[in-house]
Amino acid sequence: MAWITKNSGTMAIETREEPYLDDELKAEIEANIIPRYPDRRAATLPTLHAVQHKVGWLPTQALKEIADFLGSAPSEVMDTATFYEEYWLKPKGKYVIWLCQSISCELMGRDTIMSKIKAKLNIEPGETTEDGKFTLMNVECLGSCGTAPCGLVNEKLHENMTVDNIDQILDSLE
Amino acid sequence: MTPDELMDVAQGLQEKDASIPNHVRVCTAASCLSLKSDELAKQIKAELKEVGKDKDTKVRCVGCMGLCSAGPLVSVEAEDQKPVMYQKVTVENAPQIAESVASGKKVKDLVCDTDSPFFARQQKIVLENSGIIDADDINDYIANDGYQALMTAISEMQPNEVLDEITKSGLRGRGGAGFPTGLKWNMLAKTPSDTKYIICNADEGDPGAFMDRAILESDPHRILEGMALAAYATGATEGFIYVRAEYPLAIKRLKTAIRLATKNNFLGSNIGGTKFSFSIDIRLGAGAFVCGEETALIASIEGKRGQPRPRPPFPAEKGLWGQPTSINNVETLANVAPIVRKGGEWFASIGTNKSKGTKVFALAGKINNTGLIEVPMGLSLREIVFDIGGGIPDGQEFKAVQTGGPSGGCLPEEHLDMGVDYDSLRTAGSIMGSGGMIVMDKTSNMVDVARFFMEFCMSESCGKCIPCRVGTYQMHELLNRIAEGEGTMEDLAKLEELCEVVANTSLCGLGQTSPNPVRSTLRYFRHEYLELIDGKHIPAGAGQEVAS
Repeated sequence: MAWITKNSGTMAIETREEPYLDDELKAEIEANIIPRYPDRRAATLPTLHAVQHKVGWLPTQALKEIADFLGSAPSEVMDTATFYEEYWLKPKGKYVIWLCQSISCELMGRDTIMSKIKAKLNIEPGETTEDGKFTLMNVECLGSCGTAPCGLVNEKLHENMTVDNIDQILDSLE
Repeated sequence: MTPDELMDVAQGLQEKDASIPNHVRVCTAASCLSLKSDELAKQIKAELKEVGKDKDTKVRCVGCMGLCSAGPLVSVEAEDQKPVMYQKVTVENAPQIAESVASGKKVKDLVCDTDSPFFARQQKIVLENSGIIDADDINDYIANDGYQALMTAISEMQPNEVLDEITKSGLRGRGGAGFPTGLKWNMLAKTPSDTKYIICNADEGDPGAFMDRAILESDPHRILEGMALAAYATGATEGFIYVRAEYPLAIKRLKTAIRLATKNNFLGSNIGGTKFSFSIDIRLGAGAFVCGEETALIASIEGKRGQPRPRPPFPAEKGLWGQPTSINNVETLANVAPIVRKGGEWFASIGTNKSKGTKVFALAGKINNTGLIEVPMGLSLREIVFDIGGGIPDGQEFKAVQTGGPSGGCLPEEHLDMGVDYDSLRTAGSIMGSGGMIVMDKTSNMVDVARFFMEFCMSESCGKCIPCRVGTYQMHELLNRIAEGEGTMEDLAKLEELCEVVANTSLCGLGQTSPNPVRSTLRYFRHEYLELIDGKHIPAGAGQEVAS
């Protein structure tokens, strides 16, 4: 839910010595992203994407580093990062399973598939398995309604999912 | 390059193509691709080599052929034979396909009947190249009249002449609201500024709608050409395509298309040797439905939370970074090049009185032929659902069709003979929306459907204005209570009151239309609500088929 605010005022921020936004990544963003934007703040979304792509998620320390890098206030970067569903503010698994929860998938039986995944991985949507391998998520319409139910595993689309083939899909991931 | 030179190039490409006797097209849009159609294409090429036909056969990976439920689809045009379409083709079938090219004999078991109403009743403008061309090959687009409209416009027409054609065509925004495109562009053209922007809204997020994804994956150059024509007509200098990060394949094909179009000088500085310059860049969304609302989209491109702001000022006056901006949907822009090429009057001759041209619909849910169709405006729901869509599977009965996503409504059987256009749908209590059509049979409970859409609106509310943020939450609670059989008549009265308040006082279109699914189900299926509240209220003759 985009509008639920996080308790950022009083939370302790975990930090580490080594920056998430290192010199190499800074140089890359400076060369490939910044010139395409009229001001640095406009580069907030792609910079968040770039850091997330490298780190896997967006630790609070990284948000602060991004703010320094873009010349924004940390609160502005956090404001943007917390709004969008695609930014991970906690670590995610190696494979993120996005199961479409839209109406066509709902009509075509996505519930049985969700139950199957939950039982197999022993996690609820929004959670990650203890070994850090799988994260399970609900997602809004993936635009494959003609071949519902569907889901993404990382960036790969799976359609016409059944209780049987979801088993095969999960077992084939290493 | 002048229009004549481009025409020569196109002719050259057509002749080269015509000199190849056999053509095989394999659908590699997302749906068929997920069934490994890319491997299928490779295997067909390998098998063609086996039968010695690789030299005189062109195998193309093409965009969406429409009938997603029968994928992967393959079309074969063997020498002197009528084109044949094959359905549900697997890698194991590759030798048969290759053999059919060599022998000219059909693979009978796999034939997909293209004389069926699903194909025969369609009229393609937006999807004319879909399933025909290779999206990653700019030459395929050029050979099919690609960039002809742009080159003619910038070298032989004045910007206001392009505007006139669009106005004359009667084209209305395909993103949902149906605002006249000519009017929108006129506003932008009249606002003086050195910097103006054209934004393509590819943040498709309506549950049940997937036409924009298919257009971007199947024919990306068409969008670039439409945007460039919009820029020329309005004096814009820069373009952005705002696309959902959840559509990785569309993003990849757009990037390739932009690179090739820039290399061939259809985009960039001094296009075709004229004074007109225009460049396009991609901006990725990050999973927020509300960013499809134009002012929220602008905020998102500026790097902020995607929250809408009140209008006026309209984006045409003050848009991206305070500059005049026009935001158009993918399908709207896909219509622009054909209109400029064939004239506004041609386009206006298709469709109904107030809704011109064709509309792409995405058929999904309890319907036999799921997939994408393009039909003239004004075709009846019955023709779409039963003739083209092939009716309801498993011997079930039709109950309702949901159009317009979370801003739309559910239409019952009594509206099946209504011609579909912007105005008729609105009168019936739904909207066109982006063109999703979700068919429900008698096993679907309409209170559940309303609850589903309300949950969507609640979780996608940006939280800026109270009516939407709190109203959708409260309506969802009330619907929950009713659906669980714990509701009272008082709850129902409160729900109806909230529908009014949220519709009248929300800041943006998404909030204002969020009560629509509740309102339309109350209008046509009120007995299902009453049944859940109190069995005694079932009106005579209704209720037997109400699902539990």
